[in-house]
Parts: sequence; C-alpha cells; structure tokens
Amino acid sequence: MTYMELASQFAPELILTIGALAIMMIGLFLATSQKKVLGYLAAIFLAVASLVIVCRGVYVIQMEGILADSLTIDPMSQFFKLTFLVVSLIVVIASIKEYDNHSNQDEYYTLILLGTIGMMVVASAIDIVTMFIGFELASLSTYALAGFNKKDPNSLEAAVKYFIIGALSSTLLLFGLSYIYGMSGGLTNIGELADFFSANPAVLQSPLGIIALMLIVAGFGFKMALVPFHMWAPDTYQGAPTVISALLAAGSKKMAFVAAFRIILIAMIAIKVDIAMVFMILAIITMTLGNVVALSQKSIKRMLAYSSVAQAGYISMVFVVMSPEALTAGILYVMSHAFMKTGAFIAVAALGYMLLKENSNAKDVDHLDNFAGLGKRSPFLAFSIMIFLFALAGIPLTAGFVSKFLLFLSVLEGGFLLLVVFAILNSALSLYYYARVVKYMYVLPPSSDEKLNIPGAYAVAIVLALIGVLAIGIYSEPFIIWAESAANVLGL
Amino acid sequence: MIDYVLSLILFIPLIGAALTLLFAKSRESARVVALTASAISFVLTIMIYLQFESGIAFLQFQFIDKIPWMSSMGISYYLGVDGVSMPLILLNAILCPLTIIYAWGENKLPNQFFALILVLQAGVFGVFMALDFFLFYIFWEITLIPLYFLISIWGGPNKDYAAIKFFIYTHVASLVMVLGIFALYFSTGVNTFEIPVLLQAFSDIASPEMRVGIFLALFFGFLVKMPTVPFHTWLPDAHVEAPTAGSVLLAGVLLKMGGYGLFRVLLPMIDGLGDYRPYIITLMAVLAVVSILYATFAALAQKDLKKMVAYSSVAHMGYVMLGAAAFNYMSVSGAMFQQFSHGLITAVLFMSVGVIQHSVHTRIIPDLGGLADRMPKLAFLMMCGFMASLGLPAMSGFIAEFMVLTGSYLTLPVYALLAMLGIVATAGYHLWALQRAMFGSYNEKLGEPHDLANFELVPMAILVLLIILFGVYPGSVMEMFEYASKIIPGVMI
Repeated sequence: MTYMELASQFAPELILTIGALAIMMIGLFLATSQKKVLGYLAAIFLAVASLVIVCRGVYVIQMEGILADSLTIDPMSQFFKLTFLVVSLIVVIASIKEYDNHSNQDEYYTLILLGTIGMMVVASAIDIVTMFIGFELASLSTYALAGFNKKDPNSLEAAVKYFIIGALSSTLLLFGLSYIYGMSGGLTNIGELADFFSANPAVLQSPLGIIALMLIVAGFGFKMALVPFHMWAPDTYQGAPTVISALLAAGSKKMAFVAAFRIILIAMIAIKVDIAMVFMILAIITMTLGNVVALSQKSIKRMLAYSSVAQAGYISMVFVVMSPEALTAGILYVMSHAFMKTGAFIAVAALGYMLLKENSNAKDVDHLDNFAGLGKRSPFLAFSIMIFLFALAGIPLTAGFVSKFLLFLSVLEGGFLLLVVFAILNSALSLYYYARVVKYMYVLPPSSDEKLNIPGAYAVAIVLALIGVLAIGIYSEPFIIWAESAANVLGL
Repeated sequence: MIDYVLSLILFIPLIGAALTLLFAKSRESARVVALTASAISFVLTIMIYLQFESGIAFLQFQFIDKIPWMSSMGISYYLGVDGVSMPLILLNAILCPLTIIYAWGENKLPNQFFALILVLQAGVFGVFMALDFFLFYIFWEITLIPLYFLISIWGGPNKDYAAIKFFIYTHVASLVMVLGIFALYFSTGVNTFEIPVLLQAFSDIASPEMRVGIFLALFFGFLVKMPTVPFHTWLPDAHVEAPTAGSVLLAGVLLKMGGYGLFRVLLPMIDGLGDYRPYIITLMAVLAVVSILYATFAALAQKDLKKMVAYSSVAHMGYVMLGAAAFNYMSVSGAMFQQFSHGLITAVLFMSVGVIQHSVHTRIIPDLGGLADRMPKLAFLMMCGFMASLGLPAMSGFIAEFMVLTGSYLTLPVYALLAMLGIVATAGYHLWALQRAMFGSYNEKLGEPHDLANFELVPMAILVLLIILFGVYPGSVMEMFEYASKIIPGVMI
C-alpha cells in the first residue's frame, strides 16, 4: 500500500490532525475576541471529515492489515467514526456560543479534535496496543476538557475524579492485556488472538486467564460506567462543562463499547458461557441501579448521568447474548444513544447559558426547578428536550424506540427471558423520571414570564441532534442495514 | 375510490393538530381548525363505511395501504380494515368531533388542548387500522402521550398522581404486550410483523407452553387497557382528574383499544391453544365476572358521580370480556357491539357529569339534588344516557348486553348467571344516583346554575339520538360485527 492510498484511507483522521495543529497555531496569533473563529474552523474540519466518511460510502469493503496489522477499515469502524465525528461536531457547534469569549479556545478545540482522533483510532484498531494508544489519546484529551472551567471547583473536582479513575481503569486494562499478550506467546492482533484462544481454550480458563479477563472487564467496566465501576460518572458528568459531558457520555463512553465489542466478543469467544454470566449480572445491576438512583435526582445533569449508566446496562446485554442480531441492535443503540444524550446535554447546556446570561449569579442552573414552565419561556428548547427524553425512555418514532425494540427482541431471541423482563421493567421505571421533567416544562408555571432566546449556535447543534434522533426513529432501514453490516464484521 | 384513504383519515387529524398548535393563536381559530380536521376525517370515514363490504373470509382486509418500512426486520406501514375495526373507526370518527364541539368553551391553552385531542384521535385511528404489530405498538403507545398531557395540564387537583399513574401503569402493560409480540415474531420464524401472517402462523408454533405464554403476555397488555379488575385501579383516578373531554375519549375510544386487541389478536389465537384452551377460557370468564360484579358494587358505593361513571365503564367492559370468553358467534358479536354502544353511552354520561361539575362546581352526589328543576335539558339527556347505560330496551346497550348474556349462557352458563346478578345492582346505582342528584327538592346551596349551552347540548343530543337509533335498528354496524365474529376460526356458530 502506497502512502497515497494510506492517506486516502485515513483521510478523516488526517484532516482532523491537520485541523488540530492548525487551530493551535492560528490561536497563537489571535486576540481573545477573535478566537471565536477557531470554533467555526473546528466545526468545518469535523464536518469535512464526516462528509469524507459519508461520501466514501458506509458499506466499505473490509480492509485489514493496514500499518502492520494494526488498523482496519470496515463498516464497523466507519459506523463508529461517523458517530464520534457527528457527536464532536454537535459539541463544537454548541461550544462556539458557550465559550465565545474564552481566552483558551485554541486549546479547547484542539483537545476536542485530538480526542476525536483518539476515538477514531480505537474504532479502527485491531491490535490491542494500537487500541490502547487510541484510548489514551482520547482519555487524556477529555481529562483536560472536563476541567476546562478552571475557576469552577466542581469542574476541577470532576476532572480530578475522572482522571484518577480513568488512569486506574487504563492500568487495569493494560495489565489484563499484558497477561493476554504473555499467555498467547506475544500476540497483539485481535484476529490472531481469537484464533489462538479458540484453538487453546484451556489457556483462558486457567487462573491466570480468569484474572486477565477480570482485569479487562473491570477496565472496560470503568470506561463504560457499568455498576460497580460507575461511581465517577455522575460526579464527572455533573461537574464537567455541560457540553463536555455530552462529549463524554456520547463519545468517549461509546469508544469503550466499540473496543469491548472487538476485544471481548472476538478474543473471548472461547469461554462464551462464563463471561456471559458475568455480564448478565453486570447488566441487570447496572440498569436497575442507574434507573433507581436517577429517580431521585434533582440535578438534570446528574439524572442524565445515571440514565447514561442505565443505558450502558441495556447495551451491555449484547455481551450476554453475543448473537449477530444483538450486536446489530447494540451498535444501533450506541449511535442512537449518542444522538439522544448529546442532544439532551446540549439542550441543558443551552438552558444553563441562557439562565446565566439572565442572572450571572444563578446557581445550579441544571436544577429541575429551572425547567418549570420552560414550555412557555422557550417552546423550541422545551420541545427538543421532550423529544430527547422521550427517545431515552424509548417512546415510538424516536431512535431510542427502534434500538430498544431491536435490542430487546434480540435478547429474547437469544433465550434470555429474565434479562428482557428486567430490561423492560427498567424501561418502564425510567419513564417516571423522564416524564417528570416533561411535566415540569409543560405543566408547572414558569418562575418568570420572560422569554428565553436561544442562541443560534445552540439551536443548530440541537437541530442536528434532533434530526439524528428522528431520522433513526422514522427512517430506520438504512441505519439498521448499516449496523447489520458493521456487526457482520465480527463474524459471530 | 381515493387512494390511501385510510392514511388520509389517519393523518388529517395529525396535520390538523400541527396547524392548531403552530398557527392558531386565538381560541376561535384553534377550535375551528380542530373541528374542520376531525370533520374531514369523519366524512372520509363515512365514505369508506358505506363502501365497506362484509362477509369476506377471515383475515381479509379492505382499503389496504402497504408500504415497506424496515424491510430487513419485516416491518411495513400496513393499514387495512375489516368488520372488527370498521365500526370502531366509525365510533372514533363520531366521538372526536363531538368532543371538540363539547369543549368549544375551553379557555386554558385552547390551541394545545385541541391539538392534543386530534393527536389522540389519530393514535386511536392508527391502532384500529394497523395490520403490522410494530405499527400497532407505535400507535398504541402514541395514544398515551396526549392523554398524559390532557390529564396533567387540564386535570383536577390530584392530576400529577393520576397522570403519572396512568402513564406508567399502561406503559408497563404495553411493554409486557411487546414481549408477547417479540416472542410471537421469533417463535413463528416468519420474519415479518404483519398481524395476519403472524396470526395464521401462531398455531404452527411447536411448543404449546410458548403459545400460552405469548397469549398471556398479549392478554395482559389488553386487559390493563380495557381495564379488567384487578388491573383497573388507574382508570378511576385518571377519570376523576381528567378534563371532561379527556374522560370522554378515554372511556369512549381508548378503552376500546383493549377490547379491539382481544378481538383482533387473541380470539383468532384461542383455537391454537390446544389443551390449555379451557383454562384460558376460564381465566377470561372469571376476570370478566369479577370485573362486572366488583365494579358494579364499587359504583354503588361511590359518592363522586364521575368516579361512579368510571366504575360503570369497568363493569361494562367486563361484558366485552365475558362475550369474548364465551366464544360463540352471538356472544362475540354482542361483545363487539357492546364496545361500540358503550363508546356512545359513556360519552353522554361523562359529558353530563362535566356539565354538572362546570355549572355547580361539585359532583359529589349527596351535595347535589333537584338539578332537574333548574337544568331540564341536562336532566333529560342525562336520563337518556343513564337509562341506556343500565340497559333499557330500545337503547343500544340493551341489545349488546342481551346478546352477550344470551350467548354466554350457551357456553358459560354459570358465569352468565353470575353476571346477571350485576344487572340488578347496575340498575340500582344508576337510578339511585339519578334520584339523589337530579330529582327531589333543589339544593339551594348550589346557586343558580345555567342549563346546557348549545355547544354542550348538540353533541349530547346527537349521541342520545345515535344510542336510540342503534338500539332500535343496529343495522349495518351489527351486520359487520356478526360477519366478523362468524369467521373467527373455532368460534361456535
């Protein structure tokens, strides 16, 4: 493969790399008041990169063995790359207004682009070392982003917690992977590992193998925020700048899922039954705890964080069922959830921005009480939040419904009746706290009659997410087929 | 014939809702737009009703609209009607415009109010027309949202509790139903969600336990919606708090979705249940009789007139279940007709209660008294409604209940006799309530109430006329139901 071919295969990554460097350089020469242009620049780079993927077509032929067997281009990588790119794009567009007067905008946008590149590398990686490097690139960028509001103690607390737990989980993951590396006699390629462990299942069933697996599951568990590894997520999502919470919940968390899909599903296929049991317990505990705790939250960001935990529980049912249908549904769920969660967080960020503009001393702008009467104060924002929340609850004609429908269907098809019953009960439970926000917005009287005017940048970002949620919900066929071809890559 | 006529009937209310919500700024324009939209749907419904031909084989549908949607999953946008659904579509098309007229004076957020009623109408149309389980489920769920808002925005003092209880209770039931749909989908292995195909493939499912499991899951979804004792507790709460228009539609058409599910999906499955069939029939019959008796006696004990009417709904829906359980041609067509007739009657009852609440600000029966003195028009129409509800001959309710009980006596004599016990108490609570609330000497504490306004009088009068019309001459509606119930596989003729 020549360098030109390589460059064209990885054009989206290269575009973002150039963008990240360019923004950092240009930022040096701009006054703070002019730095707003960097946001537009970052948005353009992200939009171009997404367009490249869309134009290349999503049904690409699988290409393996690029760069010494470390990366691949297949429908699965393209699917997730597009998800990450669109999430980052929405986040960047919303940030244009959020930080239009911030002196560190150059670092901010550079970090978002670098983080996105990291996620994209993970989506493409078929080598555990490359995957880990992608992981770290994305994680390090988002650690800094979580603490971007450096004068806000909550933001700093969020960043520190996220950093410590993130470092711990990376260590666990790396430790587990190193055992795998040793036991297999020095293999790092995921495909070769899968072959090796299918031929020698006894290796993974040895005590050392079990420890390695536990470490890996724990490492991914932290990243995916599965209970009991979830404690960092609510604090981090609540404390971090809201737009960054969107990136964390919809982007970096989903990165853990794509990595887990590849590693756990392929390399661990040898001991299917044991790991299915572990994940079944994790999934049930995760969704139940996430939903139950979300019920009592008054901070909407925290509620969304717990809802995110619960949704991770739903998605991790894929690891239990391990069928192509379940994987299809899980992949579709990841994309749907990315849109719903980004949209919800961005909408909350928009409300926070408007409230702070109205009264710069306002505290706890994401408190439930601030949503009272929002339907009158800002009909568009209230309507979008309602759609995002209904999508998260799985109400028909939204992305959340289609993906939940397919996922639950596939779990039942796999014969896990108990699991589906738990998922369904949870789904009903979750309706309570989503509907409560809707009730606040439309039923309760507003605290003031003044209209809130939503800034254009936020509106654009929210509309993008809305389009995603409704497109997947109504015109689902292409997305299902795409998710199906992505799932086929793993050859379950 | 117009192409896609069912889709038109379905979407015109939705378009009307969008127009009302976005463009109608004043109350006047909102209600005119809303009425126009539902009137157009009504005219189209009448058109297809007149062209509908009964007497075709089982699972043959007319006016079919079918567009592939998610082909990889075997999901399509698939609408059609047959004798089971056609009269119910007519019922929905009649009730919604009348409700809009009745609510002509709505002051609070009128454009949102009328838009929600139209969305509700479209959702119910969708349920009655959908022939794809995926689509069916979508409409089934969509109907929850407008009613949730109708209760929680326009409702009474305890609206929050009632609205969320209604939402979660029925949502859980639909989720159980969806579990049944999933199981049906993959255990038949036909890779389609089309209701006719799945119903035909049902008896091919190898494991009888699986068949029973599927049946029970779907059954649970429907019986909570109907609702049947012991899963009825959400209904009285919802009714007590809902605004009158919401109650009219809730009792008039939304509950009918549960009964419709019974006829559309479950009765054709009964023949495929094999050895379990007697147990299932017994279960249905027991639930039906318990519903009838429990709800009737509960109605007797109510002080709130609206709660009494709500319990009477539960009791009347019990007859639907009983007729279905008896599973012979007479009882089943009687049960279907009971749905239609109860939709008309209960609307009059809720409208009467709404008028009383509005004009004297209470509906507690002991606080009322002698209202007939000051509100003669209301008293007349309300009495017609009450008489129809207790099953007076020459009113539609009589025919329905007569057929259900006669039919049930053939196959389930014990249960039919038990249900007949309820009839005495039914007459009792209706007459007693009427006597205490409307007759006797006027309770002067109630002030000077106004009699019916014209916009209240017209819909109620139309409904009473229809009740008498269908009571004297059930005609084509009954014919459609009779044909539809004759062709259900395994039904006793």
